[in-house]
Amino acid sequence: MRLTAGEAYEKYADRVFAAAFSVCRDRADADDVTQDTFMRYIARDREYESEDHLRAWLLQVAVNRARDVTRSLWHRSRVPWEDYMAELPFEEPADSHLFGAVMALPERYRTVLHLFYYEDYSVSEIASLLNTREGTVKSRLSRGRKLLKNTLTEEWNDDE
Amino acid sequence: MTNSERYKRAFSALHASGEFMEVKTMNKTKKRYIPRLAAVCAAAVLIFALAATAYAADLGGIRRTVQVWIHGDQTNAVLDIQGGEYTLAYTDSQGQAQERGGGGIAIEPDGTERHLTEAEIVEHLDMPEVEYGADGSVTVWWRGRGLDITDSFEDGVCYVMLTDGGETKYVTVKYEHGYAFSDTAYISPDTFDGG
Repeated sequence: MRLTAGEAYEKYADRVFAAAFSVCRDRADADDVTQDTFMRYIARDREYESEDHLRAWLLQVAVNRARDVTRSLWHRSRVPWEDYMAELPFEEPADSHLFGAVMALPERYRTVLHLFYYEDYSVSEIASLLNTREGTVKSRLSRGRKLLKNTLTEEWNDDE
Repeated sequence: MTNSERYKRAFSALHASGEFMEVKTMNKTKKRYIPRLAAVCAAAVLIFALAATAYAADLGGIRRTVQVWIHGDQTNAVLDIQGGEYTLAYTDSQGQAQERGGGGIAIEPDGTERHLTEAEIVEHLDMPEVEYGADGSVTVWWRGRGLDITDSFEDGVCYVMLTDGGETKYVTVKYEHGYAFSDTAYISPDTFDGG
């Protein structure tokens, strides 16, 4: 299967942006990463096995590209994520608490937590998507959960 | 509420800007100004040719005032249509009187050619436009927004996707050899040549 670029953008742009933002914590960078991801989608003229395959490919490109951007030198003088967070239309105060708690974590935890809780990927799927070992994903997920629990207390459950 | 539900609700506040999307390939090819363009739609192939000089004839065609986007500014312009060709007279942002013209033919699916209708010309004026600057720069304009694609050509071709609200235009630009666009997919650069 293959969606037109417009269809793919309409369906997945927000997911790609959210994944990119979870990595780079900068709105402008995340927008650039989103556009770059869909540029690559169009340039890569091939069929996908399913929409799940397409979604995984887009998120993989976005995460990798966002990591590249984050490591580049010019990234370091951008707008603080706290400023952007203050503009976001959260439904409940607890949403902004959770968002801020996740953003305050190191990138290695943010990315894994995002793919697990937002994209509903399993540990093995995250390991495949990030090209890393399942044990690494498990430990980062476990550590990230504990850090969130410490910050959010009753606003975060003890789930596994 | 589960952690997953909490997380999804919190992060659903994030949205891509969605204002403007460019799709391009990277290569550098810089040449000089040749004012030509071509446009493609599903029902018929519409071929336009821009003229840099004024179209002077006044032989009793259609004249009316229209609102058009000129390089990022929405302005009133006087549109004259004569047998499939047009002139557009307007005042630019510097207060200078400007005039441009163009025209072309429509090729029906059965291959027959005809003059462009008034409706097709008016519609064309709301379509993406490619501008070549004297310094070799290339800009795609659409509804008040410009996108510099000068450094985005590969083998003389650049693919650009423009979005505005619910509308999308897929534009294929051949350097100095015209451009084509459609609402659904990129037009192959092999199928047109406005040079």
